[in-house]
This record gives sequence, C-alpha cells and structure tokens, in this order.
Amino acid sequence: MKPSFHLIIASVLGALTATAGETPAACCAVLPTEKPACCAPVPAAKPACCAGEKPSAPLSDKSLYQLEGEWINDAGQPTVLTSLRGRPVILALFFASCEYACPVLVHDMKRLLAALSDDVRPTIQRVLVTFDTTRDTPAALRAFRERMELDSSWTLLTSTPADVQELAMLVGVKYKQDARGQFAHSNLITLLNGEGEVIHQQVGLMGDVSGAAKVLNESGK
Amino acid sequence: MNALIITRVPNPLRHLFGVVLLGSGMMGATLARGEDAGHVGMALIPAGTYEPQLRNKDEPEQVAVGAFWLDARPVTNAEFLEFVRTHPQWRRSRVSPLFADRAYLADWAADLELGDRIPPDAPVVRVSWFAARAFAKAHGKRLPTTAEWERAAAAGFSQAIGATEPGFSAAILNWLARPTPAPLPNVGQGRPNLFGAYDLHGLVWEWVDDFNTAMTTGESRADTGLERNLFCGAGAAGARNLNDYPGFMRAGLRSSIRANYAVPNLGFRGARDLNLTTDSSL
Repeated sequence: MKPSFHLIIASVLGALTATAGETPAACCAVLPTEKPACCAPVPAAKPACCAGEKPSAPLSDKSLYQLEGEWINDAGQPTVLTSLRGRPVILALFFASCEYACPVLVHDMKRLLAALSDDVRPTIQRVLVTFDTTRDTPAALRAFRERMELDSSWTLLTSTPADVQELAMLVGVKYKQDARGQFAHSNLITLLNGEGEVIHQQVGLMGDVSGAAKVLNESGK
Repeated sequence: MNALIITRVPNPLRHLFGVVLLGSGMMGATLARGEDAGHVGMALIPAGTYEPQLRNKDEPEQVAVGAFWLDARPVTNAEFLEFVRTHPQWRRSRVSPLFADRAYLADWAADLELGDRIPPDAPVVRVSWFAARAFAKAHGKRLPTTAEWERAAAAGFSQAIGATEPGFSAAILNWLARPTPAPLPNVGQGRPNLFGAYDLHGLVWEWVDDFNTAMTTGESRADTGLERNLFCGAGAAGARNLNDYPGFMRAGLRSSIRANYAVPNLGFRGARDLNLTTDSSL
C-alpha cells in the first residue's frame, strides 16, 4: 500500500512539473535513434529538441496519447505514449509472471500479426504494458521478451500504478491482484490507429482474429 | 465552511482510536492546530479492516486498511463549478469523450452555470472517474480506494460496525427503496457516522479509485483469467454476507461502469493519506 501511494504522489508531482515546464524533452534525450517518430528528424546533439518540434497537429480528442505520464521500456529508457504516434498499434496489458493467460495473449497477438497482409504487418507496432508495476522492472520485462521471443518490433512498457491504471481504464481492462500475487485480468487486444484512437478490440483468448486482421489490413491502406 | 473539531489527545498517532472527530455545523470552530487546516472538511478514518463483499478463495477475508483522511461530505455542484472554472479542459463543452461521456454534467444549464434545477450544495453527479480524479488531484487529494471507502462506510452512526447497530441497516435500505429525488438534497443533511462522515449512504453512489477491480460481470465469464468461483451463482456463494444487499448493489455498480461514464446518481469525495510527519501534531 504505502510504496504505491508514494509512487502515485511522485507521478502527480512529475505530471505537475512536466506540464509546468518543457514537456517532451525526455522522449528525445534518451530514446534509441531508430525508434521515435517525434525525435527522428532532430539531431541528437540538440537537447532541447522536442520543445518546438512536436508533431504539429494536436491530438484528436479520442487519442489515448492524450494520457500524460512517463513510461519506461524494457531497456530502462523513459518514453511517452505520443512517441507511438504515426503508425497503428496492437496493444495488450499483461504481467510478466503470468502463468497462463498472458503467454496466450501474446500468442494471440502473434496469430493476429500472421493474419495480416505482408505489406501491413511491418507497419504495425506491438506494445505490451504491464500492470504489475512492482515486479515488472525493465529487467523482468526484458526476460519476458526473451522468453516469448519478441523481436525489436515489440515495445514493453511500465509506468507508475496511476498511469497504468488510467490507460487500463481507457481501454476497459480490469485487473486485480490476488493474495498469491497473480492478477485476475481482462484479456483484451486493442487496436489503435496512427493517432492512438481505439479502432477495434479483440475480447477473450484463442478467438478468431480475422476480424481484427481485417480492420488492420484496411487501416493500413 | 464547516470545520471538524479535532479534540486533542496526548499521543495521537499511536492512539488513533482515541481521536474523536465530531462532525460539526458550528461556524468558526477552531482547529486544534495549524496543520489541520489542510484537512478542513475531512474526517479522520482510523485504521481498521475491510471485508470484501466478493472475494476469490485465495484472498483473505479481511484486508487491513490504514488510517486516512476522507472528505466528510461528497463534493458539491458549487465546488465542481469552481473547479471547471479554473480547469477549462474539464468544462462540458471541452472535455474529451475519452475522459467523460456525453452525460457529463449534462443537467447543468451551461458550461459555467448550474441553472435553477441544480442546487449548489447538492452533490455533483454525472461526473466521470477521470473528472473526479482530476478534481481530487487539483485539491491535493485522491479518490478513496474501495477498501477505504467501504471501511469508512461500514461504521454506524454511533457504533464501529453499522451492520449490528439498531436502525442503521434499515436506514440504508430505506434510501435504496426510494427513487433518486430531483433535485438531489444538499450534502451534510443526514446523520454523520461514527467518524464524522456524512452521506456515505443515503444520498448518491460514489466513485472509488480502483472501481475497475470489481470483476463480477462479463469478465468472469468471458475474457479474464479469473477464478471460476466468481461465476454467477458461485459468486454469491463466495460472498461474505448474503444479507448485505447494499454491498451487492455497490459491487454490482462498480463492475458495470467505465471510467468515462457520467451517471445521474454517482458522485464522489476526496481522500488523503495520513501524513505521519505533519499530522502527528493533531
């Protein structure tokens, strides 16, 4: 209980300071060069890069990327959700020590990818967000990446409990930790368009992915 | 502004149960110490336990809840109006549909006008979880957790356990039996509970921070890895107290709403951690 409250407070403070000052500097400073759309054209030497050069158009009012907050990937690097902007995303919430559902969920995501047309598949970003913010350190996420054989097209993220909770609320994922540390949780794969708007949700495990594949194949055109 | 009178006790935080809080309508009641000014209008809920209404077989019957501050009354329309005045992104016309659906503040006359039908001192309703959370954050507070809210609301008018206090459960059931009145009554009209908190029952339902942990609907049948014992009928079999009808109502409500829903009889109140450094001078 206690530590998580501190984290929440820290995140509140973080959000306050972030809105007060120059917002997105973090995404440029530390992210690897191949990744983020927002930083790519900016020379790495300029630290104040993003301040004036954010993607110009404001986010749509249905974009999940309106969520502020700082996220950490499995390389331990901070990032923001808007760095996903530009290309469609398949997103799922999970936790790495999951015994049953999460590996199946990832398998379902892979089945979905396999069902995509060859020209669309490489354009889709794969994102896994943990709600086990205590145990799923970047190292634990890295181990999950290796175990599940996820290549560099997959992004694994963690954040504060409050930020993860808001994202979960937005996509309608419920989760609850039981006494053994396992989470009961919704199994949902959410598809986002390039603007971060939900365009489809696949509910349940081992289902038919053709509907979701169709949505993505068409969104890529 | 009503104030809580916090009577001084010798060694307070080590004797939290000795702290007596009186909900008071007296104007100008003096606060015990300057530090308490930050908690004006809040009731100290002493440490206790929460017994989940529905639980997994692996979960404990009782959950320990630390002491915390809880708003003595639900947030009012007037207070929320002031918030949207200073936080334009939460005005009805501007809020993102992700964060509040179309019913958000829909009964207000306009963005910044309550109108004749909305009493300023009635609890604000038709607010989403995101909006409630933003309001709380703007006031240096947060939403109470389910465990905290239930812990506070389990107390009777004069006894620690309301369920066994004569007349307490009947008063709640009486409220549930009546349709929601329009307009809603003002906050703080009823009887405060043992801790000085008003309206936990009898006025509106309230958001809790972790409402989305209530998994009693579709999730337990279709899309979760939830234990089978939360299935429909078996869910009731695993319930703590089959007579706690209001408890089932709240659990059912929490599992049926989403964070951007704005519901006609769903309001909220803020909570705050107990600060062991600054609150210890109570």
